[in-house]
Amino acid sequence: MKKKIQFVAAITLVALALLSTRYYMVDLPVWHFFGGGQGPDPTTLHLRGEFVESNLGAAEGPAGSLTMRMIAQQYLFVPQCIVVPAGVPVHFRVTSADAVHLLSFLGTDYGLKAVPGAVTEATFTFDKPGSFKIPCHEFCGVGHSAMRGQLEVVPRDQFASLLPGERRTCGPR
Amino acid sequence: MGHVSQTALLRTVVPCCGTLALLLLATSLVLSGRDSSAQSGNPGPPIRVPSNVAWTDETIAIASGGNAFRGLLLARRCNHCHGKEGFSSNPAFPNLAGDDRLSFWKQMQDFRSGKRISPLMQGIADGLTAHDSADLAAYYSMLPTTSDPQDRRAFPQAKIWDPLRARIAIRLIVFGDGQRGIPPCQSCHGPVGYVKGAPRLANQNGGYLQEQLEHFANGDRTNDINMRMRSIAGQMTEDEKTMVSECYGAGLGPGVNPR
Repeated sequence: MKKKIQFVAAITLVALALLSTRYYMVDLPVWHFFGGGQGPDPTTLHLRGEFVESNLGAAEGPAGSLTMRMIAQQYLFVPQCIVVPAGVPVHFRVTSADAVHLLSFLGTDYGLKAVPGAVTEATFTFDKPGSFKIPCHEFCGVGHSAMRGQLEVVPRDQFASLLPGERRTCGPR
Repeated sequence: MGHVSQTALLRTVVPCCGTLALLLLATSLVLSGRDSSAQSGNPGPPIRVPSNVAWTDETIAIASGGNAFRGLLLARRCNHCHGKEGFSSNPAFPNLAGDDRLSFWKQMQDFRSGKRISPLMQGIADGLTAHDSADLAAYYSMLPTTSDPQDRRAFPQAKIWDPLRARIAIRLIVFGDGQRGIPPCQSCHGPVGYVKGAPRLANQNGGYLQEQLEHFANGDRTNDINMRMRSIAGQMTEDEKTMVSECYGAGLGPGVNPR
C-alpha cells in the first residue's frame, strides 16, 4: 500500500513538472496527412503565391491583426530579422523551401515547425520587449548549427501601424 | 456463433469509418477554403521576382543535360574574357573552370531575362538558347580545376598571405557565425554541402567574389532565390567580405585540389 502511494506521488510529480514547462511547439495539424493541407510548392515559392520575397515580413490585416510570413531554408530564415509589437497577437504563417526546420523562439515559450509543401500557422503573443534569437531547432543539414534568425519585440507604441501594402522587417530587403 | 458476432461487428464498425472519413473530408474542405480566402483577402505589395528559374524537375533536366562537345565549340566566344581554360586573368570576370552546371545555367537565364544586370553579359546571353547554355555548362563543368603546377594561372589574383586574416576567413568559411546568422560558406558552395544553384567557390577569383558580395549587400544584385545571399552578405562586415574573397582567391579555400 505504501509503495502504491509512493508510485502515485512520483507519477503526479512528474506530470506536474511536465505541465509546468510552458513550451508550445506548433507542429503540422493531423489533417495535413489526410490530404487536407494543400501547401505551396517549395521549389516555386519565389515565383508566385504568398511567399514571394516582397510579401515576407509583418503585414497588417483589415481588423488591425498582424500576419508574419516567413520562409525557412538551408541555412537561414527569411526575413532574417523580424520585428513585432509587444502584447499583440501575431499570426505566423511559415513554410520551408527545402528541408524540415524548426523555429525556436529563445527566451519565449514558442516553437514553430516549418515543413516543405505545407504552411504551418499559429498565433503567438510576445509580452516582454527585447531582442530574441530564433535558432533552428531541428537538424536540417551541414550548416544547421549556424542557422539563426532574430526577433525584435518592440513596445506597442513604437510599432507604427502598417499601410495596406506595406511589409515590415528589420533585415535586408 | 463467431461468424455472427463478426458480421455484427462489421455492421457497427463500417458506418463509423464512413462517418469518420466524411468528417475528415469536411474538415479538410473547410480548412482549404479558409487558406485560400486568407491569401486572396490580403492585397500585397507589387510582386518582386528575383529570378524566373525554379528548380523543378524539368528545369534540372534541361540544365544538367547539356552536350559538352557542342559547348566546347560555343565556348570560343567566351575564351577572350573568361580564359582559354576557364581561368580569367581579370578580377571583373569569373573563373568558369569546374563551375557547377545548374549555377552556370541559372546565371545565363538571369542575364537573358535581365534579372541579373550586366550590359556585357546580357547581350551575349541573348544570343544563346536554354540548350546552348546547358551545353556550355556541361563543357565548363568538365574543365580541370587545377592547372599545371608550374604556373599560377589558376589564381592570378593571389595576394601575399597574412596568416591571421586567413584564420579568420577559414573560420567563417568552415563554421560561419551563428550569432549573426551567417551560415558557413562551405555548407552550400562545397565541398561539404551543395545547394541547387550555388556555384562552387573553390576556384573562383578573389576580386570577382568580393565585387559580388558587395553587390549583394548593397542590393545591386538581386537574383538570388529567396534572398539567400542578400541576407548573408548584408550581415558580413567589409573586412570579412575582403578576407573571405582573398582566401578563396588565393586558393586556400576548402575544396581546392592539392597542387
